[in-house]
Amino acid sequence: MAKRLSGLQRDVLQMYRLCVREAHKKPLASRPNFLRYIRTEFVKYRDIPRKDFSTIEHLLRVGHRRLETFASPEVKDIH
Amino acid sequence: MSMSGLLRTSFTRTALRRGLATEAGQVAPRLKTFKIYRWSPDKPTEKPRLQEFQVDLNKCGPMVLDALLKIKDEQDGTLTLRRSCREGICGSCAMNIGGRNTLACLCKIDPDTSKESKIYPLPHMYVIKDLVPDLTQFYKQYKSVQPYLQRSSVPEDGKEILQSVEDRKKLDGLYECILCACCSTSCPSYWWNQEQYLGPAVLMQAYRWLIDSRDQASKMRKEMLQNSMSLYRCHTIMNCTKTCPKGLNPGFAIQEIKKSMALE
Amino acid sequence: MLKSSLNLMVRNGVRTPLARSRNVQMSAMRCLSLKPNFEKLKLTPPPPGGVEGNVNDPLKKPEIDFFHGSYHWDYERITAVALLPLTTIPIYLAISGSGLHPMLDTALCCTLLIHAQLGLTSCIVDYIPKRRFGVWHQVAMLSLYAGTALGLYGVYELETKNNGLVDLVCKLWKDEEEELTIYSRF
Repeated sequence: MAKRLSGLQRDVLQMYRLCVREAHKKPLASRPNFLRYIRTEFVKYRDIPRKDFSTIEHLLRVGHRRLETFASPEVKDIH
Repeated sequence: MSMSGLLRTSFTRTALRRGLATEAGQVAPRLKTFKIYRWSPDKPTEKPRLQEFQVDLNKCGPMVLDALLKIKDEQDGTLTLRRSCREGICGSCAMNIGGRNTLACLCKIDPDTSKESKIYPLPHMYVIKDLVPDLTQFYKQYKSVQPYLQRSSVPEDGKEILQSVEDRKKLDGLYECILCACCSTSCPSYWWNQEQYLGPAVLMQAYRWLIDSRDQASKMRKEMLQNSMSLYRCHTIMNCTKTCPKGLNPGFAIQEIKKSMALE
Repeated sequence: MLKSSLNLMVRNGVRTPLARSRNVQMSAMRCLSLKPNFEKLKLTPPPPGGVEGNVNDPLKKPEIDFFHGSYHWDYERITAVALLPLTTIPIYLAISGSGLHPMLDTALCCTLLIHAQLGLTSCIVDYIPKRRFGVWHQVAMLSLYAGTALGLYGVYELETKNNGLVDLVCKLWKDEEEELTIYSRF
C-alpha cells in the first residue's frame, strides 16, 4: 500500500488533477502548451519543504485564482 | 511670451537661491528610521519581514507618503504601495502606520527621530505584496448593498428629482466616505467574520442610501440586512469612528440603521 | 471494500469549488457504509483570498431572517431595559428589610436567564460561525439551549422549594457574618 498522504499533499495532487482536466477542455492544438505550462508551474516549487504549510497554502490559493482565470472558455492558448 | 520667460527665469533664480541657502545652513541630518513590512509573492518561501529604512527628514516632505515615495525613489525600487492623489481624496494609500489605520498621505511623520515608525499593510487582510492588501471582498460587499439610486417612479416633469435642504443635510458626513477600508479593517468583528459581516464602511454607505429622500427601495435595502451576519455583528466597538482618516462616524450610522430596523 | 472506502475518503477529503458538486453525487451513491463520516467534524477553511467564487461574481445573498436580525436585537434591548427595574426593586426591598413577592423574583430570574441566552447566542455567532465550524456551531447552540433549560429548571426549584434568588444572594451576607472572624477583636 502506498504511503498515506497528508491533507495538504492531497490538496496539491487534486489541484494538479483539476489543472490537467481543465487543460483537456481546451482546443486540441493548444493542449500541449497548457500541459507544459502546468508542469513548469508545479516544478518551479517542487523543492519547497513538506512542512512549509503557509507557503504551500498560499501557492494553492494563488493557483486556484489562476485556474479560475485560465478555465474560462475565452482562453484558447497559452505560451 | 517674453513676460512668461522673464517670470520663469526669476522663478528659477529664487529656487536656486533657496536651495543654496539650505545647503549653506548645513543643518544636521535628522535621520528617521522607518520599519516597513515586506513580503513578495515572487519568493513565497521567504517569510514576511520588517525592513529598516533611514530617511533624512530635512530633505523629505511632511507626510508618511512622502517618506515612502522617497524610499521607493532612492533606496529600494521594489517597495510596493498603492497611492494616487496624495491629498486624502482617493483612499488608495490606506495602511497601518504606528498601529493605527490611516491614509499615508494624511499622516504626518512623527518628528521625534529617536522613535522608529512602523508601517504595515491594513490588518487582517490578505496581502498581495508589501503594503498592498487584497480588497476584492471589500469591493464585492460594497457592490452588494447596491449603492445607486433606485426608484419605481420618475418625476412628472421628466426633469431631476428634487430634494429639500433638510433632506440633503442628512447625507452630510456620509457621502464624504472614500472607501479606503481603514474603518472596516480596524473592526474586530470584521476580522473574525470578513466573509459575511459587511463592515462599517459598507454599512455606512448602506445607510447613506437608506436615508436618501430620493431613494424608494429602502424596504428592500433593510430586508437585505435582516440576518444575523450582515449588520448585527456590529457590537458598537467604535474602532471605526476612532480610526477614520476623514473624521466620519460609521459607528453612528450603523446604530441609526439598527434603530430604524428595530421597529419593523 | 476497505480500499474503496479509503479511496472515497481521499476524494472527499479535498474540497475545491470545482470538484464539490461531483463529491456530493459520489457520497450520495454510497450512503450505506459502516465507516462513520468524520468529514462533518472538520473545519471549513476560508476560500482563497476570502472571496467565494469568481472575483466578479456577486456576493452570495444571505437569507432574510427576522428572528436572527432585528428581533434578536430588540429582545436583547428589551431584556436589558427590563433588568433595570427588576434589579433595583429587589435591592431596595432587601435593604429596607421587607419581603419580596415570589413572582417578581421569578421574573428577575427568567429575564436574567433569557438575557444571558441572547448574549451568548451573539458570542457563538461571532466566534463559532456556521460558515467555518459547521457542525460545531450546532453543537455549541444545542449546549447553550440545554444550559438554558437546565437554568429554567433551577429557577423552578429555587422558587418552589427555596426562597428565591434574592434571598439566596442575601444569605451570602447574612449567614456568614456570625462565623466571621474579625481579627481586630482579638
